[in-house]
Amino acid sequence: MATSRIPASDAAGEGVDAIVSGFERLGYIADRSLATALYLVTKLRKPILVEGHAGLGKTEVAKVLAVFLGAPLIRLQCYEGLDVSSAVYEWNYQKQLLAIKIEEGSDKTVEEKEKHIFSREFLLERPLLQSVLVEDASPVLLIDEIDRADEAFEAFLLELLSDFQITIPEMGTIHAKHVPYVVLTSNRSRDLGDALKRRCLYQWIDYPNPGKEMKIVRTRLPGIEEELARQVVEYVQSARGLNLSKPPGVAETLDCAEALLTLGKLRLDEEAMEQTLGCISKSVEDSAKVKAAWSRPTQ
Amino acid sequence: MINLPASPNETARTIVEFCRFAREKGLSFGVQGTLGALEAAAVLGVDGQDLKFGLRSVLCSSKDDWDLFEECFQTFWGGSEAVRLLDRKMRPRKEGPFGVVRRDLTSLMSTASSDDVSSEKDGALAVTGASARERLAKVDVSTLPQNDMAMLDQIALRLFKQMSRRLQRRRRIGTSRGQVDLRRTIRRSISRGGEPINLRYREKKLRPHRLVTLLDISGSMSPYSLFLVKFLYALQKHFQRADTFLFSTNLVEITALMRAQRLPQAMQALSQQPAGWSGGTNIGGSLREFNQHYRRKLRSSDTVFVILSDGWDTGEPGALAAELGDVKRSVRKLIWLNPLLGLKDYQPITTGMSAALPHIDVFAPAHNLESLLALEKHL
Repeated sequence: MATSRIPASDAAGEGVDAIVSGFERLGYIADRSLATALYLVTKLRKPILVEGHAGLGKTEVAKVLAVFLGAPLIRLQCYEGLDVSSAVYEWNYQKQLLAIKIEEGSDKTVEEKEKHIFSREFLLERPLLQSVLVEDASPVLLIDEIDRADEAFEAFLLELLSDFQITIPEMGTIHAKHVPYVVLTSNRSRDLGDALKRRCLYQWIDYPNPGKEMKIVRTRLPGIEEELARQVVEYVQSARGLNLSKPPGVAETLDCAEALLTLGKLRLDEEAMEQTLGCISKSVEDSAKVKAAWSRPTQ
Repeated sequence: MINLPASPNETARTIVEFCRFAREKGLSFGVQGTLGALEAAAVLGVDGQDLKFGLRSVLCSSKDDWDLFEECFQTFWGGSEAVRLLDRKMRPRKEGPFGVVRRDLTSLMSTASSDDVSSEKDGALAVTGASARERLAKVDVSTLPQNDMAMLDQIALRLFKQMSRRLQRRRRIGTSRGQVDLRRTIRRSISRGGEPINLRYREKKLRPHRLVTLLDISGSMSPYSLFLVKFLYALQKHFQRADTFLFSTNLVEITALMRAQRLPQAMQALSQQPAGWSGGTNIGGSLREFNQHYRRKLRSSDTVFVILSDGWDTGEPGALAAELGDVKRSVRKLIWLNPLLGLKDYQPITTGMSAALPHIDVFAPAHNLESLLALEKHL
């Protein structure tokens, strides 16, 4: 079906442009690759899997996308042991018990009582169910750090992503009125299943080059001086080459720059570096490496 | 940068061709992927760069794919120089990165194939008798004559299987009553006017540990390494999450290889690995490689980390201790099995071994069957 209608590329190009500029207005510098992938998300209605190192704005992609589309954002943070009752739905047990007590004297049959306490009134909606229940427009569903959830949950998710319907045994099946835009993020702490990966568009977010990082710093911290920003970016970029156990991401760059601003520093000298070292390195070994690199004559 | 033909049909054909090309070069996607690519092209049009980004996000599903795509794309729509580059990259490495000469292992592997033969005539095993089995279990593998080896293999495989079965059962029995399952309890209580008379429980589902094993296959380990490979094979068959590595001067992951095949085939395939069989040893370096490439993926608090090595290390002992300490901090248990520990007067005083000792939770021998089976109580 796709082969028969290959349109002029203008509309698509404009669509991608709109995402780039729209995101920039919202303070997120997206390169064309990411913008194109997001454009496809909105057109093909496929989930997108965003991978990359920590602190490079993976989660931010979904947040900004939601604002950009004017859609509600629903977020599910994954962790080990995440189960259906905290991801999809749970019954409100206390309320159910009360309801049973209240109806004790009434002449309702057991079936009627059961029907009552398993109605929507007693249902606690968790993120995945919420995303299916949204009434007016497609929400953005952010499934954060999917690699932390276990395989069983991944399999469940697979089912949800293919049909966008959720079955509650006591109530029946609920279909999504509006198919959500789904953004999954992963830190690659384990390999995801092939089936899930196959269903998603894929986007790898790498460390930004100095130019892009500079632009990010200046967008997020408009008050910063050009020279200081340049110094910080250079410093962090070189720290990434030091083989640290946790290389600093863009979040760390921004932390460091903000810390310098707060401390009233105008230049990044040795003293300022030591005061803000905690923004860049998160372990003793890393700190030692960063310090050693600083005092090396090439610096 | 892409010269796509003007007519829609031609465009589609070119994209399908590219998909086929990319798959040949090693990108893994199915028909779904190709259809997705066509859809993406339909949405994006044929404007060069956007189409490239679009195809990339449709056809890739991992960082490796991501890197490979770049090359595929350049080759398909680029010049001939790129073709040569890609070809060189795709060709399997003949030699380890450190130039270790790989010894042909097919002769050593002969025991592996005998495994197959003798398993067909199971009657032979019955003759062995209990006492012979007991004796063999205690014999140091390195001193065993070649013809006893086949028999030992048989017994070993069976015992290993038993051991893993026992492991699994113990886990099930070990589970206890957990939290009250409110959902089921309430459901049950409706007919009794809401009194939760029968409590329903939810059991904690125990998850087997993840097993990561590093086997030293350097020269000093060669009397043991084949036997130990078999041990690992049996072990990882029964752990749902087991990752297996070989190392000498560098590290090679063999998880997929061991999983995909039966033992004789796996042994054959292993002998083709550029892992530096019977070469030198650099334990610290190999561990660093592990920490760098697999740390996030494999090291978690439910990991049991097993090193099988004699501790003869040509690398720097400080480096070994540092890397091992790094591993130790993030795994549940660090086990070092040393075949030499079976020798009567062995003392772990080699520089490498003594540097490693402070970080090790369990230090045990691995020279015969009995010692390997004793591993069960540590897993």
